[in-house]
Amino acid sequence: MASPLISGTPGQTHLLLGNEAIVRGAVEAGIQFISCYPGTPSSEVPDTFFRLAPEGAYTFEYSVNEKVALEIGGGATLAGALTLVTMKHVGVNVAADPLLTLAYTGAPGGLVLLSADDPGCHSSQNEQDNRIYARLAGLPCLEPATAQEAKDMTAAALALSRELGAPVLLRTTTRVNHLRGPVTLAEPLVLPAPVGFQKNASRFVPIPAFARPMHLRLLALLETLRDRADSSPFNTISGAGTVGVVASGISRAYLADALQENSLEGQVKVLDLGFTYPLPEKLIEIFMTGLSTLLVLEELEPVLETEIRALAQKLGLSLTIIGKMPGGKTPGHLPRFGEFSVGLVSAALRSVLGLPAKTVAACQADTTDANVCGPLANRPPNLCAGCPHRATYLAVRKVYGDAAIYSSDIGCYTLGILPPLRAADFLLCMGSSISAGSGVAKASSHLKNQDVIAFIGDSTFFHSGITGLVNALFNRHNLLVCILDNRTTAMTGHQPNPGVDKTNQGDNPVRVDIEKLVAGLGIEHFRKVNPLNHKATLKAIEELKGLTGVRVLLAEEPCPLFARRAYGKKQTQVAYVAESCGEKGDCGDCLDILACPAFYKDGGKVAIDPLLCSGCMLCLQLCPNIKARKGDTK
Amino acid sequence: MSALPQTRLRIFMTGVGGQGTLTATTLLARTALAAGLPVTSGEIHGMAQRGGVVESTLLIGCKSPKIGPGEADILLGFEPLETLRALSYLKPGGLVLSSTEYLPPLSVACGREASPDIEAIKAKVAACAGQARFLPCRSLGLQAGAVQSGNIALLGALCAMGALPFGLDVLADTVRATMKPTVAEVNIKAMELGAAYPA
Repeated sequence: MASPLISGTPGQTHLLLGNEAIVRGAVEAGIQFISCYPGTPSSEVPDTFFRLAPEGAYTFEYSVNEKVALEIGGGATLAGALTLVTMKHVGVNVAADPLLTLAYTGAPGGLVLLSADDPGCHSSQNEQDNRIYARLAGLPCLEPATAQEAKDMTAAALALSRELGAPVLLRTTTRVNHLRGPVTLAEPLVLPAPVGFQKNASRFVPIPAFARPMHLRLLALLETLRDRADSSPFNTISGAGTVGVVASGISRAYLADALQENSLEGQVKVLDLGFTYPLPEKLIEIFMTGLSTLLVLEELEPVLETEIRALAQKLGLSLTIIGKMPGGKTPGHLPRFGEFSVGLVSAALRSVLGLPAKTVAACQADTTDANVCGPLANRPPNLCAGCPHRATYLAVRKVYGDAAIYSSDIGCYTLGILPPLRAADFLLCMGSSISAGSGVAKASSHLKNQDVIAFIGDSTFFHSGITGLVNALFNRHNLLVCILDNRTTAMTGHQPNPGVDKTNQGDNPVRVDIEKLVAGLGIEHFRKVNPLNHKATLKAIEELKGLTGVRVLLAEEPCPLFARRAYGKKQTQVAYVAESCGEKGDCGDCLDILACPAFYKDGGKVAIDPLLCSGCMLCLQLCPNIKARKGDTK
Repeated sequence: MSALPQTRLRIFMTGVGGQGTLTATTLLARTALAAGLPVTSGEIHGMAQRGGVVESTLLIGCKSPKIGPGEADILLGFEPLETLRALSYLKPGGLVLSSTEYLPPLSVACGREASPDIEAIKAKVAACAGQARFLPCRSLGLQAGAVQSGNIALLGALCAMGALPFGLDVLADTVRATMKPTVAEVNIKAMELGAAYPA
């Protein structure tokens, strides 16, 4: 069935995920080239492009990291292609170097960078506010709040970028990427084929003599863009009164609902900002004139608040501005961390209007009432049944114990932080395990028996672990690097990486072999194991422990979820606990050291759920009371 | 769409990763759209498929995709422990529909932590809900032909109660319009089993 995202009828309304709406917006703008590095909450954008590639008239690639993705996209737009580059917020840090120069060289074919921010850290290591990148690099910035806007602003941002020949930032947050709402489709544009690269060294080669005028051109462009922001259909004024509210991003949705909840619609003046940078100064001047109080609603940093305060000062307006900044007569009402909500916006609104605070009655699960139920058991995410990472962690911990320092990285295997595996002691960012581990090892080299083990997944290794490994070799660091190769990028939804042989769309014809790559670097101490072979894995780790310098263990076994889908792997056996269990007294070792979700206790006896067991048979190698039997093929 | 009465309705859904909570949410949102209602739904992904809690929302007549404590008119719990955990999102006097069948967290399955029994959960729910229905969703799903269709049984019960501005027929139409015929029939059966399950 053809996807409505590619071939939907203009005028039709579909329920779309915010990320699907971004895809449709790009299609309507005539998108020609997409590069990305996946990461929640952005992943459904590239994954949808990948899935629909056979239907679409565009070039798509999963790049090895965000810097490469933006450079690939930067090259494509230099050759005249209308380009979209997608990543999560922390990915923009990786891509920051090309980004800041791309703003100088420009984007002849048009280029939009999607930055999917994550206030509240739903699936990220920080909650940085990438609107600041728009200011740092000098990029116009659009921020949608609904699915319809996600589509419309993507199309508008691409069109604007192509018209200006300058990159544009489309900034979303998790709630926008992962909301679903009705989206009415428009007619897609068909663009002429890219014109190819047009030589112009003074425009495209930022040697100092050329970079200076490039910077001036960028500053001039940003000034002219204020008019565009002033007249943008995404910036609208509504309501009336002497109290005003400026809102941007998803805060606009919270504001609309808060006004409705409090029956205040039309009674305050509202400025909805969708085109947020450069600041539409004339529009804001018109909006602020006559206001006594202005409430600024934006998640994370007081970016708009700072700029609006500066504007009010420049205009000599004496209105009271309330946002996040503490002190003076305007105590901060709003937090600089986490997400906003209707309740939070409602409280701020009532406070600004001098209305009494409203308490919202909520049902209490009363999890502290032990008479009824006691504290509720948590349900943390866990490594799946049959996950090969569990097997590697188990073996490494058996050999190295608690005293070793475990440097972790970003992927499913970060879940190894949980007991009983406890295989994550620190983590900085994608690809940091080897280099940060090297630093810990070097700085603790005077301590006796201070082993450092770095864990890194295959996709993360390709992303930015290779450079750390080269550095470790060059600077003669002393650590064990465990490359956990599960043959896919599991955490973000089984996207391909350079090392895979299968993708969700078929075979990968050009596989980069990690073993050959490591050998090519000249690493002498190398062992490759299937971690599900417990004895062989233990032996390899013990041998590597006896050596010094950079040592690499490649633990290769496909993610069982991916193997089922992509390799069509059939499961023939499941594990079960034999009657002999418990004959020598209560033991429970399997529960305490494995934390496999297929295990449970059935009336005091350990049992294995055959529906959950993946048949990895690691447990059989740990306990003689666990045995294999033929399983139902699933 | 705007000609219809703007009744606001907020539904909070909760379950366990892999259970199909998001599929049920999307189905219900598509149904609401098919009924001509201004619908927004929200979900938080990320680590969902690793057996963690999955929460999602469906709002009619609202712009926000998020539901705060005490704001949900309806709480749908696809797993009873998660129903209890999410109870603080319910508006006092609201409606609760929950499965009675557990998917115990690992710590409970391994006997390290206890879990409240279903009677304790029912009592807690009764203390703040205006109305509550409990169904053995997993069993109804298996009876219909697929364990995941148990979620649709809960949606069937919800539609049959008249708690939504559309009925079972619109839900059934959406199931047929969006799923493969064989899968659709299993889900229609689950929906009917849920709708007919005695209160």
